[in-house]
Amino acid sequence: MTLPATGSPFASGGVLAAALERLTALGGTTSEFKGMTSVTLPKSQLIEGLEAAKAAGMVMLTDVVGIDYLTYPGHRGKRFAVVYNIHDVTGRERLFVRVELDDGEASPTATGVWRGADFLERETFDMMGVVFEGHPNLRKLLTPEDLEGHPHRKDFPIGESPTLFNDGRFLDPATFRAGLMGQDTGLTGWKGGARDGVRSTQGTLPDERGES
Amino acid sequence: MTTKTAPHHQDSVEGSFHTEYMRINVGPQHPSTHGVLRLVVDLDGEQIVSLKPQVGYLHTGFEKTFEHRTYQQGVTYSNRMDYLHGFGHDLAYVLAVEKLMDSRVPIRAQRIRVILNELNRIASHLIFFGTGLLDMGALTPFFYTQREREKILDIFELVSGARMNYGYFRVGGLYQDSPDGFEERVQAWYDDFWPHLEQYRNLWVGNDIVLARTKGVCVVPPEMAIDHALTGPSLRASGVGLDFRKAQPYSSYEDYQFDVPVYQEGDLWARMMIRFDEMVEAARIVKQALDLLEPGPVKDPDRRISLPPRQELENSMEAVIFHFKLVTEGFHPPKGEVYVPTESARGELGYYIISDGGSMPYRVKVHAPSLANLQSLEPSSIGGLFADMVINIASFDPVLGDVDK
Repeated sequence: MTLPATGSPFASGGVLAAALERLTALGGTTSEFKGMTSVTLPKSQLIEGLEAAKAAGMVMLTDVVGIDYLTYPGHRGKRFAVVYNIHDVTGRERLFVRVELDDGEASPTATGVWRGADFLERETFDMMGVVFEGHPNLRKLLTPEDLEGHPHRKDFPIGESPTLFNDGRFLDPATFRAGLMGQDTGLTGWKGGARDGVRSTQGTLPDERGES
Repeated sequence: MTTKTAPHHQDSVEGSFHTEYMRINVGPQHPSTHGVLRLVVDLDGEQIVSLKPQVGYLHTGFEKTFEHRTYQQGVTYSNRMDYLHGFGHDLAYVLAVEKLMDSRVPIRAQRIRVILNELNRIASHLIFFGTGLLDMGALTPFFYTQREREKILDIFELVSGARMNYGYFRVGGLYQDSPDGFEERVQAWYDDFWPHLEQYRNLWVGNDIVLARTKGVCVVPPEMAIDHALTGPSLRASGVGLDFRKAQPYSSYEDYQFDVPVYQEGDLWARMMIRFDEMVEAARIVKQALDLLEPGPVKDPDRRISLPPRQELENSMEAVIFHFKLVTEGFHPPKGEVYVPTESARGELGYYIISDGGSMPYRVKVHAPSLANLQSLEPSSIGGLFADMVINIASFDPVLGDVDK
C-alpha cells in the first residue's frame, strides 16, 4: 500500500473514476446528488464490489449507515438500505456504496474487507436490525440488552413500549404518563405539582402559617 | 488430582503448571476510562491477551431525536454528543444542512466559526493532556491545562452564554454577531497562550518519565490504522497525513496557512506529540482568522433559512409571516442525502442527513470518530502491559458521549 509520507497528501485523482468503472462492471447503478456519488450494488456483488473499490484506491472506510425507508414519501424498492461510506487516502474522493435489503434479509459482512467495519456494522444491526452474515461478533452495541427491537426503525414505538427492567420493575406506559400529568402518583410518587409550586408537595409555607 | 514431586528443571516447572488467563473488568465507572467505557480484559500475568470494549452506557438516542426536531433545532443536540469539542459537532451538522439547502454563509460567520472551532480544538487537546498525563501519574499538568482551558471557555461564554453545549451556530450563519470585545479577548488569549505553550513543552514534552512510558509503546502501524478505520490525529500519528481541513476545505479553511503535523512512529508518544503540534497549528489558524475578520453580516440573507431582522417585523407583514413560518414550522430542504466530512479534535466527523422534503430530517446518522477509533484499542494493546493500556485509552482520546451518541 502506498501512503503519503508528509503532511501534504499526494495528488490522486482518478480513483473515483477507476472505482466507478469496476463497480459498474459488477452491475452497479450510479447516482449523483450535490457532488456525492453513490453506487447501488446487488447484494450478491457487495463484497466483491467493496474489494474492487478498495483495490482501485478507495482504501478507507468511514462509516456504515443503515436507513429505513418505511415512511419515506414516494419510496419504491426495498425497505432498508445499508450505505458504506468509503474514501481514498487523500480524503478528496468519496464514494457511497449502497445495498438494498428487505425486512429480515441478511447482508454479507464487510469485516473481511475492513476490520473496522466491526463496530459500525454492529451499530447498524443494533439500531436497524440488519443482520450481517459472517460477522464475527454480531451483538448489540449501544442499546441495553433487555431492550427489544431496533430503535432507529421507523415503526419503533416511542415512549409507548412497556418495559420490564432487569430488577423486576415494570414500566407501564399509561401509568407512567398519568404520573407525569399529575392525575396519579404513578410509579415515582411524584404528584406532578410543578404548576402549583412548592405548596402541592409541602403544604403551606412557613410565612403563611404565621411564623417568621 | 495427583501430587507431583517438585521438578528440578525450570522447563518442567512451567510444563507442570496449569495457568489460566485472568479476566479483569475495567470500568465503566473509573476515571482512567475517560467516561463510561467498560473494557473486558484478559490478562496473562501482566500482558494483555484480549481486550473487548463494551460501550453504550451513555447512549442517548440523539440520532432518533433529530428526526423529531426541525433542522434549526438540531444544533441543540449536536454539541451534546462530543461535549469537549461541541463546536466541531455543531459545525459538522450545520454544514451538512447548509449543503442540503445550498446556503451561502457570509464570510464573517465562517471566520468566527473557524476561530471558535479551533479554540475548541485547543481546549479539547488540553483536556487530552491533562487527563492523559494524569493516567501516567502526573497530577500537576491537569491544573495547568485547566487554567488554560478556562480562558478559552470564558471566550465561549462571552459569545454563546454557555461553557458547554453552546448552540451558537445556526444553519446559514450564527445565532447573532459576536459581542463587543470578542476580538480583543481572543487576541489577548493568543498573546497569553504562546508563553504557556512553551512552558508546557518544557514541562512534559521532553520529560524522561513521559518518554520512557510512551516511546515505542502500543504502536499502531499505518496498515492497521487504515484497516481499523482509525481517523484524525491518531491516524496522522501513524503516518497517514489525512486532514479534512486540507483535503476538502470547508468554512473558509482554504484561506489559512497551516501545516498538518504527521508522525511516522504510531506509538503513544506520536499520538501525544501530534496533539501538541496541532495546538500550535490551531492557534496559528485562530490568529489568521482573527486578522482577516471584517465587519459584515453573520446570517445568510436567504429568507428561506434565516429569520428576518427584528426592525422589519414592525413594518412588513411579509416579514412577520416568514418569521412565523420559520419559527413554528422551519424550512423544507429538498429531498436527498448529504454528507460533509469535517475534522474534529478526534477525527473525521460527519453528519449523514437524509431529507424527505419535510421540515425535520428523515434520518440523521452521525459518524462519530470516537467510536471508530476505539476499534484500534485492542490490536494496539495486545501483548503490551496493562498499565500501558490505560495510557493507550487516553491516547486515542475517546469522548464517550461521542461514542455512544
